[in-house]
Amino acid sequence: MSKYRFVGKGVERIDGREKVSGAAIYTDDLEFGPDLLYAEIVESSEAHAKIVSIDVTEAEKVEGVVQIFTGKDFPYKFGLYMKDRYIFAQDIVRFIGEQVAAVVARDPKAAKKAAELIKIEYELLTPVFSQMDAISENPVLLHPDLGEYPHVPWFFPKENTNIAHWRKTKRGDLDGGFKDADLILEETFEVPRYAHCAIETHVVISKYDYSGRLTVWASSQSPYTQRHLFAEALAPLGIKHKDVRVIAPHVGGGFGGKAGVTMEILAAALATKMKGHPVKIRWSREQEFYNTYQRLGVVAKLKLGLKKDGSITALQHQLYWDAGAYVEYGANVVNAVGLSATGPYKIPAISIDSLCIYTNLPPGGAYRGFGYSEFLFGLESLMDQAAEKLGIDAVEFRLKNAISKGDTLAYGAHMNPNGLKQAITEVAKEIEWGKEVVSIDPEKVLCKGFSLLWKAPAMPPNASSSAFIKFNEDGSLNILVSGMDIGQGYLTVMAQIAAEILSVPPNKIRVENPDTDRNPYEWQTVASHVTWSCGNAVKKAAIHIREQIFDLMERAFKVSKDNFYLEDDGVKSHLDPSFYLAFKDFVVFGIPMDDGSFRGGPITGVGTFLPEFSSAKSDPETGQGGHPNVHYTVGAAAVLLEVDKKSGQIKVLKAVEAIDAGQAINPDLVKGQITGGLLQGLATVLYEDMRFNDKGRLLNPNFTDYKIPTTKDIPEEIVPIIIEVPQPDGPFGARGVGEQTMIPVAPMIANALYNGLGIRIKSMPITAEKVAMAILEKEKN
Amino acid sequence: MNKITFIINGEKRSIYVEPNDVLLDVLRDKLGLKSPKCGCERGDCGACSVLLNGKSVRSCLVFAIEVDGCEIETVEGISQNGLSVVQEAFIEMNSFQCGFCAPGVVIATTELLRKNSTPTKEEIKEALAGNLCRCTGYTPILEAVEKISHHNKHNSDNTGGTNE
Amino acid sequence: MVVAHDFLYQKPSTLLDALKLRAQYGEKCSLLAGGTDLVVNIKERRISPDIVIDIKGIPEFSILEERDGSIFIGSAITFTELIESPLIKSRVPIIAESAHTVASVGVRNRATLVGNICSAVPSLDSAPALLVYKTDVVVESVDGKRIIPIDKWFVAPKKTALQNNEIVLGVLVEIPNSENGTAYMKLGRYSGEDLAQAGVGIMISKNLEYKIAFCAVGPVPRRALKVEAFLNGKEFSSITNELSEIIQSEISPITDIRASKEYRRHMVDVLVERGIKLALSRLQGE
Repeated sequence: MSKYRFVGKGVERIDGREKVSGAAIYTDDLEFGPDLLYAEIVESSEAHAKIVSIDVTEAEKVEGVVQIFTGKDFPYKFGLYMKDRYIFAQDIVRFIGEQVAAVVARDPKAAKKAAELIKIEYELLTPVFSQMDAISENPVLLHPDLGEYPHVPWFFPKENTNIAHWRKTKRGDLDGGFKDADLILEETFEVPRYAHCAIETHVVISKYDYSGRLTVWASSQSPYTQRHLFAEALAPLGIKHKDVRVIAPHVGGGFGGKAGVTMEILAAALATKMKGHPVKIRWSREQEFYNTYQRLGVVAKLKLGLKKDGSITALQHQLYWDAGAYVEYGANVVNAVGLSATGPYKIPAISIDSLCIYTNLPPGGAYRGFGYSEFLFGLESLMDQAAEKLGIDAVEFRLKNAISKGDTLAYGAHMNPNGLKQAITEVAKEIEWGKEVVSIDPEKVLCKGFSLLWKAPAMPPNASSSAFIKFNEDGSLNILVSGMDIGQGYLTVMAQIAAEILSVPPNKIRVENPDTDRNPYEWQTVASHVTWSCGNAVKKAAIHIREQIFDLMERAFKVSKDNFYLEDDGVKSHLDPSFYLAFKDFVVFGIPMDDGSFRGGPITGVGTFLPEFSSAKSDPETGQGGHPNVHYTVGAAAVLLEVDKKSGQIKVLKAVEAIDAGQAINPDLVKGQITGGLLQGLATVLYEDMRFNDKGRLLNPNFTDYKIPTTKDIPEEIVPIIIEVPQPDGPFGARGVGEQTMIPVAPMIANALYNGLGIRIKSMPITAEKVAMAILEKEKN
Repeated sequence: MNKITFIINGEKRSIYVEPNDVLLDVLRDKLGLKSPKCGCERGDCGACSVLLNGKSVRSCLVFAIEVDGCEIETVEGISQNGLSVVQEAFIEMNSFQCGFCAPGVVIATTELLRKNSTPTKEEIKEALAGNLCRCTGYTPILEAVEKISHHNKHNSDNTGGTNE
Repeated sequence: MVVAHDFLYQKPSTLLDALKLRAQYGEKCSLLAGGTDLVVNIKERRISPDIVIDIKGIPEFSILEERDGSIFIGSAITFTELIESPLIKSRVPIIAESAHTVASVGVRNRATLVGNICSAVPSLDSAPALLVYKTDVVVESVDGKRIIPIDKWFVAPKKTALQNNEIVLGVLVEIPNSENGTAYMKLGRYSGEDLAQAGVGIMISKNLEYKIAFCAVGPVPRRALKVEAFLNGKEFSSITNELSEIIQSEISPITDIRASKEYRRHMVDVLVERGIKLALSRLQGE
C-alpha cells in the first residue's frame, strides 16, 4: 500500500477519455482554413553526390504550385549538440532521402505532381556505408569542414577524419586488471539500425505572419528545444525567441524520434518565405523511416577479464557507431554510452572508447534507450559467457558483481541508491531460475535467459524543467508544463504529484500538452527524465501554492501557519478539528473578513528544477572529473522461450521484468511501460530488420517488410515487477523508467538461445531464419 | 468532380469528389471527421479504419467514389450518443498510451463484438491483429476486450446479454 | 498520401458494359474489386491507369454458390466472405484456411480471392489452395467466355494468362469427390500478418492420393507433381532424403528481403512434413 493519497495509485489516465472517443487532437487534425499551403519535399536519390543542377521548369507549370525552393534559399545551419546540418542540402547530399528542394502548392496533389517533375543532376561521390570503412586508412571524408562545426564543449571531433566525436572514459589499471585475470574473453557484437515506428508520422504546420511572428504546430517531444533551434537557425532573419511559438498537440508516439529537430525546420523555413500563409508538411511513412532519425548501428568490441571466483578485473569496451550523415543529435547517444558502457557492474579497471562515425546513411539520433540497448546486447551476452566459462550460475554471477549504492562509476562519481540486487532476486524467483524446463514437443526447446539493465538520463548538465500551477474558481487546478505526453502518462503523473501536495484529486486537475507562449520552460521529453525533473518542478510549484495558502491562513485567521494542513480539497487545522475551508471558497476570490474586505486572491504557484550537482566538465582523455549523469535506473529481466528447432521461430512464453522506479507515481502506468517496452525490445530482436541495398537505399521503409509486432506476436505472459528504492532527489523518490523497460531484451533472448540450443548469436536481429540457420550450422559441425 | 451520396454516422450527405480522392482524406478534410488517422497509407497499420456497411475497412485503401450509396461509421458516430461499453472499458483499463491507434482499435473491437459478443482471447487477437500499436504491447487493450467478453458471457448465461 | 495520378472512374452495372469498357481501354484500364492492392499500386506509382473500372456493381461478380459439383467464387467475393461461408468451410476448407492467413480482418473485409490471384505475386496465399483442387479461372471478353485451368493461370511473376480485353468472372473449384484432409502451411516472419516466405498447400485423400502445391518458392505458384507421384499410395511418416531431393528439385526460391533461398529451401521440407501430418490428422479426425 502506498503511504500517499494520490501518489502510488493506479489512477485513470487524464487523457484516456479524449483518446478513446476520437476527440484527441493530433497535429494533423488541426484545421487552418482555405489559405493552408502544402509542401512536398524533393529528396536526394543519391547517397553521396554533388548537386550539379536543379531544374524546376516543368514543375512550375503544374497548376496549383505557388513556389518552389531549393537549398540556396536557406543557407542556414542547425543542430542540437553540433551544428553539422543545413535546412536543405546546399552543394552536397549525404544520404538517400536528404531534402534537396520543396514545392509549395495550394493542394497536396499539385505539390506531389510538381515534385515528381523536378529534375536534379548529380555528380556522384564515393559513398561510405560502413563505419569501419569510414575509419579505415584514407577514407572519403564526408565532412571536410568538421573542424569548424560549432559543438557543445563536451564533444571531441577529430578533424580530417570521419570521427565526429570520441568519448573516452578510462579508470583504474587496465593492463594490470587483465594481467591479474584468470580468464579473458574477447568478442565482437553487431547491432544494426532500427526505426522508431510511432504510428503517427511527423507532421508540422508553420506560419510566419505579417507581424513577424513564427508559429509552429508540431508533433513533437521537444517544443522548447525546437523553439530554441528555430530561433537560432533563423536568427539571420531577425527572428527572436519571443517571436517563435511552438504549439504541440497530442503526439502519436515518439520513442525518441520526435525529439530534437528534424523535418520541423523545413516548414519553419518555408513559412518565412511564404509570409502570411500556413505551410504544412506531413511525412509519409516512407519518409518517416529514412528522414527523421534512425537508431544508430554499432560494432562493439569487448574484452573482459575475470578472476576464478567470478569477480571482474577489467573491461575494455570499444564502440564504433554508424551515426549517419549528420550527427547533431546522434553524437550524444555515442557520448552517453561512452560514459556508461560498463553496465551495472563493479569493475575496477575500465577503458571505454565510443566513436561517433559519419556514414552516408540516414542521420542517427535519439531512440528509446539512447544507446544502452545496443551496448547491453554485447555486454550482457559476454557476462553470460563469462559465468559459463567460470562454472558460475548466471544469476549468482550477476549478484556477485552488481553495482551497489556508493560504488564508483566509470567516470568517477558514485552510484545512487538502487534496488538492483532485489530486482535480480525477484526476477530469478518469478522465472524459476535454475528449474529445468523440458518441452513435451520433441521439435521444440524451452529455455530461459537473463539480463540486467541500467540507464541514466543523457542530458546536458543544465537541462531543466519548470511548472506553473493555477487554481480555478471551483478549486480545480490547471498545471502548465512543457513536457509532452508521448503516451507514457506524463500528464497524469504530473497531476498526481500536485494532487499529493495539494490534496486535490487528479480528476480535478487539467494538464495539457504545451504552447511555448503560455507554458514555462522544459528542456525536452527525452531521457526518461520528465517524471523526475518536471515532477520536481511541479512538486515545487505545488509547495509554493501550499506555502501561500498557509501564509494566507495566518494573515486571515491570526493563527500561526504551522497549525494548518491540506486535506480533502481544502484547509484544515491541527488546533481546531471543526475548521475546514474548502479551496473553492477562497483560492480565487479570497477570504472575506468581518469588515467586508478580502484577503488573498488568485493563487498560483511556480516551480523550477535544475540538477545543480551535474557537470559535463571532465578530462577529455579519461572522462574523469565531472558528474555527467544525474542517476541510473536499474533492473533485471528474464524470459522463458519456446524455440522451434526446425523453423527457428521463437515464442515468448513468459517475460519478467523488475525495474527500480524509486517510487512509482502511478504503478499502472509503470506496468504499461514494462509491457510496452518489453514488446518494443522483443520487436528489435526478433522481427525488425532494416535492409539497405549497396547504393544506400532503404529497401523496407514500410510496415509490409519492416515488421513491428501485432496482437499475435506478444508474450503469453508478462510479469512486471516494480522495485522502489527511492531516489533521494526525485519527487517522492521517483525516477524514470520509460526507456529502461526495453533495453534488456536483446541479450536475454540471446542468452536463452545459448542456454537452450548452444548457439551464441552475436548480431541482431535474431530472426527465426538466423536461429534456424545457426542450428543447422551447429548440427553440421 | 463526381457527386456521391452516402450515410455517414447516421446522416445522409452528398459531396463532390475526384475519382482519385482517397476515402481517408475525404473523411478528414472534407467532412471534418478526424478520428480515422493516417498512419501508413498502404493498409498495414489499421489507424484509418472505419466501418463500411458494418465492416471494418482501411479508409486509406478505398477511393471515396466507391462509397456512393454506402453507410459509413467512424468513432465520432460510435461516440455521439455516449461512449460505448468498448470505449469505457478502454478508459478504465488505461488501454492506450499515445492514443493514435485508439480509433482504429475501437472500430475493430466494435465490429468484433457486434458479430460475436463473447469472443475468446484468440478471437480477440485475430480481430485486432491488423491494428498496429507501438506503445502498449497490446496487453491492456486485449484485457479490456476480454473483460467485456467475460461480462457478456456472464450476462448471456442469465439474460441473453448485450454486445458492443 | 494523396494520389497524384488522375484517372476516370466507371462503375458499370452490367457485365456487358464492363466488357465494352475493358475492350475499349485494354491495358490502360485497371479493374477494381477490393482495391487493397490497386490503391497502393496507384498511390505508389507502380501503375497509372487511364480508367478504373469498379466491378462491384455487377451482380454476377458477387455470386458464391455450388454449381454441378463445383463451387463458383465470383470476382467480388472477399476473403471474409470465404472464411464465413459454410459451403467453403465444409467442401473446400483449405480455401478458408488460406484466406485466414491473408493480411488482417480490415483488409480481408475488402480484398478478394480473384484479386489476389490476379496480382500473381509469387507469394500469393490463395494459389496453393486453388492448385490442390481442380480449379478453373472463368474469364470473359466481348468475344466470349474462356476457361483457364489454374495451373496455366500463373505465367510469370506478376503476370497471368489474362488477356487485356478480358475480365475474370470468378473461379470454379471442383469439390473433391473422395474424403480428404487438407492443410495450408504458411511461413511468415511472425504470427501477425505477413507475406508468405514460403507456402505449401496439401490435400490427401483417403486412398492416399496426394496433392501438393507451393507458393513463394519459385517465380510462380505451382503444383509439385513429382512430389505427389512419389508420395501417392504411400503412408507417410517423415521426410526422407529421397523425398527431400525431389521436393528441392521442384522449387527454385530466391533470396529477397523476406528470406534467404537457403532458409526457404530448408523450410519447404519442414512445411511439407508438418503439413502432411496435419492433413492426415484432419483426414483421420473426420
